[in-house]
Parts: sequence; structure tokens; C-alpha cells
Amino acid sequence: MSMKLTRREVLKSAAAASAFMALNGTLPDLAGAAPGEPDKWVKAVCRFCGTGCGVMIGVKNGKVVTVKGDPNNHNQGFICLKGAELPSIVNATKSRVTRPYIRKNGQLEPASWDEAMDLVVSKFKAAIKEHGPTSVAYYGSGQALTEESYLANKIWKAGLRCNNVEGNPRLCMASAVGGYYTSFGKDEPIGCYDDIDAATCFFIIGANMSECHPILFKRVAARKQADPNVKIIVVDPRKTNTARIADIHVSFKPGTDLAILNAMAYVIIDEELDNPRFYNKYVNFMTNDKKKVDFKAYQKFLQDYTPEKAEKISGVPADTIRKIAKIFAESSATMSLWTMGLNQRIRGVWANNLTTNLHLLTGHLGKPGATNFSLTGQPNACGGVRDTGSLCHLLPAGRMIKKAKDRAALEKQWGLKPGTIAPKPGLHTIALWNAFSEGKIKAMFVLCTNPAQSLPNVNMYTEGMKRKDNFMVLSEPFMDAETVKYCDVLLPAAFWCEKRGVYGCTERRYSLLMQAIDPIGECRPDVDILLDFAKRMGVDPKVIPFKNVDDIWDEWREVSSATPYNFKGMTRARQEKESGIRWPCPTEDHPGTCHRYVRGEDPNIPKDYKNKMWFYGTKDGKARLWMRPYAPAAEEPDAKYPMVLTTGRVIDHWHTGTMTMKSPVLRRSFPNAYVEVNIDDAKKHGIKNGDNVLLETRRDKMIFQAKVSDVCRPGLVFVPWFDKNLIINKLTLNAFDKGSKQPEYKICAVRIKKA
Amino acid sequence: MVPAKTGWIILVVISLVLWVSFSWAGQIKHLVAPDSAADCYACHKKATPIIAENWYESKHGVILVKCFVCHGQPDGQGSVPWAVSPDPRIVCTKCHDPAIKRMKAKFGLAPKCYTCHPFHQNSLHHRAYSKSQSKK
Repeated sequence: MSMKLTRREVLKSAAAASAFMALNGTLPDLAGAAPGEPDKWVKAVCRFCGTGCGVMIGVKNGKVVTVKGDPNNHNQGFICLKGAELPSIVNATKSRVTRPYIRKNGQLEPASWDEAMDLVVSKFKAAIKEHGPTSVAYYGSGQALTEESYLANKIWKAGLRCNNVEGNPRLCMASAVGGYYTSFGKDEPIGCYDDIDAATCFFIIGANMSECHPILFKRVAARKQADPNVKIIVVDPRKTNTARIADIHVSFKPGTDLAILNAMAYVIIDEELDNPRFYNKYVNFMTNDKKKVDFKAYQKFLQDYTPEKAEKISGVPADTIRKIAKIFAESSATMSLWTMGLNQRIRGVWANNLTTNLHLLTGHLGKPGATNFSLTGQPNACGGVRDTGSLCHLLPAGRMIKKAKDRAALEKQWGLKPGTIAPKPGLHTIALWNAFSEGKIKAMFVLCTNPAQSLPNVNMYTEGMKRKDNFMVLSEPFMDAETVKYCDVLLPAAFWCEKRGVYGCTERRYSLLMQAIDPIGECRPDVDILLDFAKRMGVDPKVIPFKNVDDIWDEWREVSSATPYNFKGMTRARQEKESGIRWPCPTEDHPGTCHRYVRGEDPNIPKDYKNKMWFYGTKDGKARLWMRPYAPAAEEPDAKYPMVLTTGRVIDHWHTGTMTMKSPVLRRSFPNAYVEVNIDDAKKHGIKNGDNVLLETRRDKMIFQAKVSDVCRPGLVFVPWFDKNLIINKLTLNAFDKGSKQPEYKICAVRIKKA
Repeated sequence: MVPAKTGWIILVVISLVLWVSFSWAGQIKHLVAPDSAADCYACHKKATPIIAENWYESKHGVILVKCFVCHGQPDGQGSVPWAVSPDPRIVCTKCHDPAIKRMKAKFGLAPKCYTCHPFHQNSLHHRAYSKSQSKK
């Protein structure tokens, strides 16, 4: 059989086939409205990291259909891949907690709001009656709205007279708080994101900005692209994607950054690049045991940290230390950026101090581009928890529970009887969960956080949650959060854009999130849940007089006005019009503040003040340079566990993955946790890419698939912590910084073998 | 000897099969490892190495604007619709809306962003506006 076809006929049918194919690939263009164009755009802030990108939520027919960057917020319209996936997360309504539940015979049974809240309140009342106010607690979150944290703090400390108010920022930012507080007398950064656009040197240490602060990373990269003479130094035992834009990547033995930082100070002085004009005027030199000494004593202290001595400790060549110290000091405006690599350590406060020291020594402070900038992990750790003082030892706006003067000042502002606020600080997070696990804390209110996955050495705490003699109520949007397995009452929390309130990001910028859609099912905003709790607990309505979230904001604004936080000028009306304002902002016509402690910029400083800078947080107005020694990690590698395990994030997932795993795209971009193994270590252990590897620490063991690469230095393995099926925190340890009480997630001893 | 009519039918069937396989083949391939289907780069490093490297070396690659942010997923899941050639009104505007509005005010609007702006090959290393030539 044969067929005769002319060439013409073949070409005709080929053309027909092509026409069909072309129909699938028509190039769309910008003219005309996009398909599914929203009815309205609602201004908000991204749900994820501490960068705090402004977003515009596109709503159509009452549903969130898209998201884009807010052109008027600091991110100038840009968002990262997680922010872009918010619509699919918001619309994952099948995974939501939509009604209250009470645990009966081990199972969560549906309940009404009245039933659930009555049970919660009865447990709290019984505990307080039998064991006193210190037997209850609140554990909140750097992802809760500012008004939620402020309200909870007031209910517990002023209403219940209980100082056991803590939150997950204790696990991420406490060392930065401690660092700023010991160096300057006050928390929170001096500079802002604008400094990125002016810096001529970036010193990025203990931070994987490209995955954890993507839009700030973009801003740093853009700065370097605009001026190739800008220098970028990345100091990290992992050669992350962040190091792609670095001029120098410095890998070092985990925990030895303390020695490197001191050695850099040594070099700066040795090369005569220090700035006596600055430190003679603005800096006190302090020994580790709080004695004030002079510059000569500091030089003597640094003799233990010559580059050669630091090389022995850290593995970094002395010449490299000299090189980066000189670049740091010779640049006209150096900006340090750091996150958990410095904070999540038993020497976290020290690591923060030593980084700040380099700025105090060189005078890289207070000028555009020159600043020591701690990057905040969560979207509202700053505004929500640090600034409102929602930690066991704090009161709003930097005041401290242990200071009688501070308690009295707040009592006056809150109209409380003198002595209402208990004088003894409460239990910090690890101590609190230890106490809960021992049955000493009888009732705990957990809000917007997932401690059954996020606490270090977590088995200890999930065992504690199983006890019958303690009670945990959890406010949580997602049914599959690990902590849901252990709570006694589960309350349906309204999610991100189903409520309104403020987020305060890394650069002291407070931005209002407007509500985009109604809460689903029986969900309620946490403000309403807490107001209901307070009412049922019988808290004096004069103490908790708020009708709504805006009332709470107005009171907090007023309270702040008596302190250097003063943001009285951020009225709700102004917040609705603008896209975030940086505090201090004392009046409605004040534009907000870029640099604190600088005359002419910081409204707390009189315009005719004698000096250019004033560190008004300290008694004498000077900053403090702390002589912190190198000291090893809590659990160094040894013969039995010869490697270091470190944990962290990946760009695709946020924290415990309860949100990002709801996006089918983010889930499939990074479906499971794996262990990152160095190529040489893999060879030594006979491990190939994709093999199963058993990780063992003194606390637990777990099998991960291996990803073999040159990212980790030899001797180091990395595991991300988003995976609820592979909870790496079962292996980490809960040793914590004596000053900040922050746990050392970043370093523990591990052994690996092919499984 | 096949009658001419049958020959035509066979030819049409072949064309339809070709059309189906070209438009669906891409989607069928992604069924092989659906759990990690959004880790596009891992496979496309080998499947379409030049485009993958262009992207990796570009601004989008450095700042981790991963493939799915613009292209979505072949099975249509996620916040961005699947498109080999993304719709700028849906995709580019998510981040570049301010620049698009500025361009429109200054120069009027070129209907398709990528007549001028390279999407993969937006390099840090050389001139910003060299158009991508790569097909694979």
C-alpha cells in the first residue's frame, strides 16, 4: 500500500497543525484589563518575614485573587516568591480551623464558642485561685498583630497580675534586644533600610539574606550593581546563595565568630583605622564584668585576638581577617547586617556586642549607610513583642518590670492602683515551657505560634504537653499545625487578611494591614478572642476598656508618647493613607525617623543639642563597647558526636510550614527537609546525593535524604526546620544565653552515617 | 494502494497527534515527579540548560525569583496561571507595576514587556537590555 501525496498537501497539513499549536501560545499584552482583574486592592503587609514588604491584596467578589507589591512602602512594589503565593494560602480554606474544639478522651470534639471559652476561663480561674497568678501564662508571637500582643500583655500583667507573658521572639531576637540594650541602653536599630542605598561596604554575618530577607537582599545587590566599588563581605560557615554577590565569603568554625570579630578590632587599631574622635566622645570601654576602663585596657584585651591567634581558633587565615577588617574600616560607610547566626547562640548577646563594637571603634554610625543593623526574622517581633514589652521582664516602650519607677509610670498611664503590676519578672520561654512540662504552670494561652515544632529539644516539651495536670488553649488558623495535636482547646483564629491591625518590621516601620475579606466560618480576630477572655475572666473593664482594635492602637500610641518610642503622630487615619511610618514620630506632621540618636533626625534630641549624637538610653549618653571574650558553644563536637548540626530556613518555606505548605507550588518547590552534607564529608561517609543519612544527637535521631554540595563547610551539616514530618528540633538543644535567654539553635553536636 | 481519502484522514490524525503531543508533552513529563514539580531548575538544568543558566545568572536567578513565580505550574495549581509565555498583566505587575506605570507615562506602553526587556537573561554582568536569543 502506498499513498501519493503532493508536497503541497504535506505543507498544508503541517501548517494546519502549526496553527493549532500557535493557538496555545498567543502572547498576551499589557493593553486592556487582565483576566480576573480585582474589584478592589486592599493595602496590607506581607504575612512572612521581617522585611515587612507592603502588599496590595487583590479582591474579587469577596475572594483574594492576587497580590502585588505596595509601590508606596519601602519595597517599592517588589515581593518575593512566598509573598506572591499568599493568595493560594489564603484560599486553602479546607485546611483551616473554622470552629472551636475541646479535647475529650484524647480527641478534639467540635464545641461552641461559649463552651470553649467557658472551659478556658474555668481552668485559668481555678489555677489562679489554687496556685496564684504565677501558675498561668501567655505564650504569644512575633507574627501576631501589635494590638493583639499589647492587649494580651495588658490583660495578663495588669488584669491578672501575672508576668508570665512570653513569645517566640525570645527564640529569635532576644539576643539582638540584649545586644542593643547593653550597647546603647535601648532596644531597636539605629538606622533603617535607606542605609542600604548609601552604604559602601556590607558586612553580612550570620545571615542568609537571599533566602530569609529576599527583598532586602535584592536592595543590597542593586546597590552593588549601581556602584561596583561597593564591597560585600559574607561571613558564614555555609556558602549560601547570599555569598553569590560577595566579594569575599569567609567560612569559619561555627561559634568562633566571637574571636574573628575581636581580631578585626585588633587589626583596625593596628592599622590605625580606628576613630578616636568618635569613641573618645561617645564610647565607654567596659570589661566583661561591667567595669569601666580605658582604651589602653581594650588594646590589652585585644592582644589575645591577634589575627594569628584568631586563625587558630576559627580556621580563618590571618590574612583574610586582616583583609576584611581593613575593608570594613576603610570604607566610607559600612553597614553590618545579621540575623540568627549571631542571635541563636548561648553567646548571642556577646556576638551582637562584638559586631556593634566595630562600628563604635570606627565611627561607622549615624551617617547614611553606616550602621549596625540587626535583621528581624518575624514580621512583627519588633512592633508587636519587643516594643510593646510583651516579654516576661518588660513593659511597653522599653520599660522594665524590675524598675519600680517604670512600673509606677505605666500604672499612672494605665490608671492602675499603684502596685498593681507584680514587681518580679515572669518566666522566660525556656523556663516557662520547662515549668509547663513539670506541671508547675497549670494553664497556658498559646497564640499564633507552633511550639510543638519550634521549641528546641522539642520532645521534652511535647511530652510536657501530654500531661493531664496542665491545660493549653491554642489560637491557630491551621488544623494541621503540630501543636494542635496537644492542645486541650483549639480556637479558630482569623487569618492574616481577615482582620486589621499593625505590623512593625525590622526598620522600626509600623504599617497598617487593612482587612481584605471576612473571617471564614466561626473564626474571630485574636483581638476579639482576647477581649472575650478578659471579660469572662472578670478583668476590670476600666483596665480593658477597648471596643475594637483601633481603640487599642490609640491607647498604645498615647502610652508611647511618654517615652523615646513616641509614635503619637501615627494616627489610624494617617496609617490608612500612608504605607508605613518609622518611629519615633511624635506629631501628625512628622515624617518619621530614619536615624535614631542623631541630632536633626531623632525628634527626642533638642535641635540645639551640644553633640551630633546622643545615646539617651544610657545615664551618661554614651554607648558601650563590651570586651566579650571568645567562649565555645554549649555543645561542641567531640569524639562521639564529631560534627556540628545547624538549622535554618529556606526561601520556599516560612518557619513550621503551616502556611507555605498550603501553597501547592511552594510545597512542590521544596517538599521535604533534607540534610545538606559537604562533598568531602559525604565521600568520607560513603554518602551519595539522595542517600538516606541517619543524624544522631544526644537527644534524638532522624533519617534525612542527603543533598551533597559545597554549601556547608566540612564538619557541618544543615537541616531546614519547616518539615512537620521531620522535626529537626527533636535533635537540637535548649541551652540558652544567660543574658538573653535565647536558645542555641545554631550549634549542637551530631554524628552522621549512611542509613 | 490507499484511496486518497484515507490518506488525508491519516495525515489529519498525524497532525492532531503532533499537536496534542506538543501541547501536552510538557505537562505529561511533569507527572514523572509531581511532588517536586515546582523545583523546576533541578530538572531544567539538564532539560533546557541554556535557559536555565540564563535565568541562574540573571537578576531573577540571583534573587531567587524562581520559575513558578512567573510561569506557574504545568497543572495550573498555585497563585499564578500556567503559561510558557506569562501574561505581563498578571505576572510582571506583581513586582514591576511602578516601573510599568512610569514607562507608560513617559513612553506610552509597549504591549509586550519582552519586546525590550529580557526575562531570563537580565544579567548582572553585562548590558541590561540584550534580548534573549536562546530557544533551549
